[in-house]
Amino acid sequence: MIFFRSKLIIFAPLRLAVQHCATYFMALIVLLGVCLQTNLADDSTKQIDAANQLVAHMIEDVEIILAQDADDRSARTTKITKLFDRYFDLATIAKFSAGPYWRAADAAEQAAYQTAMRDVIIGTVVRNFDQLSGLKFTETGSQAKGPQLVLVNGKFTHKTDKQPPIAVGWRVVMRDDGPPLILDVEIENISMLVTQKQENIAIIRQNAGNFAAVIDAMQQRIASQN
Amino acid sequence: MVAACSSMPDSQQSDARDPYEPSNRKIFAFNMGVDTYVLEPVADSYRSNVSDAGRRAVDNHLAWASLPSTALNSSLQGNFENAALATIHFAINGLTLGFADLTEDPGAIEKRDFGQTLAFAKVPEGDYLMVPFLGPHSGRSLAGRVVDTITNPLSLIDAGAVGSSVRTAQVPASAVAFRANNFDRLNDVKYNSLDAYARTRSLYYQLRDGRLNDQPKGSQTPSATDDQFDAFFDELAK
Repeated sequence: MIFFRSKLIIFAPLRLAVQHCATYFMALIVLLGVCLQTNLADDSTKQIDAANQLVAHMIEDVEIILAQDADDRSARTTKITKLFDRYFDLATIAKFSAGPYWRAADAAEQAAYQTAMRDVIIGTVVRNFDQLSGLKFTETGSQAKGPQLVLVNGKFTHKTDKQPPIAVGWRVVMRDDGPPLILDVEIENISMLVTQKQENIAIIRQNAGNFAAVIDAMQQRIASQN
Repeated sequence: MVAACSSMPDSQQSDARDPYEPSNRKIFAFNMGVDTYVLEPVADSYRSNVSDAGRRAVDNHLAWASLPSTALNSSLQGNFENAALATIHFAINGLTLGFADLTEDPGAIEKRDFGQTLAFAKVPEGDYLMVPFLGPHSGRSLAGRVVDTITNPLSLIDAGAVGSSVRTAQVPASAVAFRANNFDRLNDVKYNSLDAYARTRSLYYQLRDGRLNDQPKGSQTPSATDDQFDAFFDELAK
C-alpha cells in the first residue's frame, strides 16, 4: 500500500507531464490542421483565380474575333483554331470523349482520333460562332470541383436585353505540366463534352466496339462540311 | 408493346437506359421525317412571317396555359412558393388569356410537371422511349405527361367552341413555337451530329437531370455531369 502510494507520488509529476505533452501535441495537430486547411483554401483560391483569368482572357479574344472577318469563313476558322489550341485541353478532351475505349486503342488510333476530334470541335464552334454576337459574358461565381477542376459559372446576356440570360459554365482543368486549360463548356446544364462522349460511345458500341468506326464517322463529317 | 418486342442484349446497347434502341431508332427516323416535311418548314415560315411581338405573345400564352399544371405539381412537390407564384401569374395574365405578360418577372416561376412529381415520390425512371410525334421520354416522364394532360384544370373548363379550338390548337402551336425558338440548335443536332439519335438522347437526359435536381441556371449543386468528371479523373489517377 505504501509502495503503491509512493508510486503514485512519484508518477504524479510524470502523469502531469504526459498530460501537458498530450495537450501540446493535440494543439500542434490542430494548428497543423488549420495551416493545412488554410494552405488548401489558398490553393483553391489560386486555382479559382487562375481559371477566372483564363476564361476572361478567352472571352476577350472571342470578342476580338467576333469583331473581324464575319464574312470570311476561312480566316475565321484559322483564328478559332488558334483560339482552341491556346485555351482548350485537347489531350484530356480526347481521353474523356472516348470513354473506356481510349485505353484499348493503339497509339495510331489515339492520334487519329485526337486530330479528328479537334477538327469536329473547331467545325462546331465555327458554325455556331455568330450566335455569340451581341452577347455579354458575366461571371457569377466559380468553385473548385475536386483537386483538378474549377467550374467558372457565368451567364451570357444579350446587350439589348431582348432575350433571357443563358447560363454557362466553363470547366477548367488544372495541369501539373502547364497552365490551366478549358476542358468543357456547359450551357444551360448541358455539357458539350459529355454529349460528345455519349455520342461517340454510341457509335463505337453500335459497331461492336470498333474504335475506328467513330474516327471514320468524324472524318466523314468533317469532309462533308468542307 | 413494339418496344418490348425489340429489346436488345446489354452488350449491343449503346446506353444502358435504352434497352429498346432498335425500335426507338426507327421511331426517331419517323419523327425526323415529320420534322423535315412538316415541322421544320412550318417553323421556318413562322419565324419569317410572324413578328417578334406576335411570337412572344404565342410563347406567353403557351407558358400561361401550363401554369395550372405547374401550380398543382409544385404543391405536390412541397414547393408552395412556386405554386403561389404560378397561381398569381395565371390569375393576372388570365386577363389577356396569357397573350400579354403583365407580371414583372415571368422567369421567377420554375416549370413543374407530373413526371417531376413522380421523381419526387421516388418512382423509378423507367426505360428510354422515343414516342412518335412527342419525341424522347423516360417511362416516368411519359406517364407524367399523360397525367398532366388529363389533370390540366384548363381542360375541365367548358369554354365553348372557341375555348375548345384554342385548346386543340395549343398542341401543334406548342410544337411549332418550340421548333422555331430552337431552330438553329435543333438543326445543328439534326444535320451536324455524328449520330443524331444518340445526341438527342444525351441532351434529353442532361436537360431532364437539370430539371429534376433543381438546377436551373448555373446552380452550384453537384450534377450527374460532375459525377462523370469525378469518375474520369479518379480513373486517370490510377
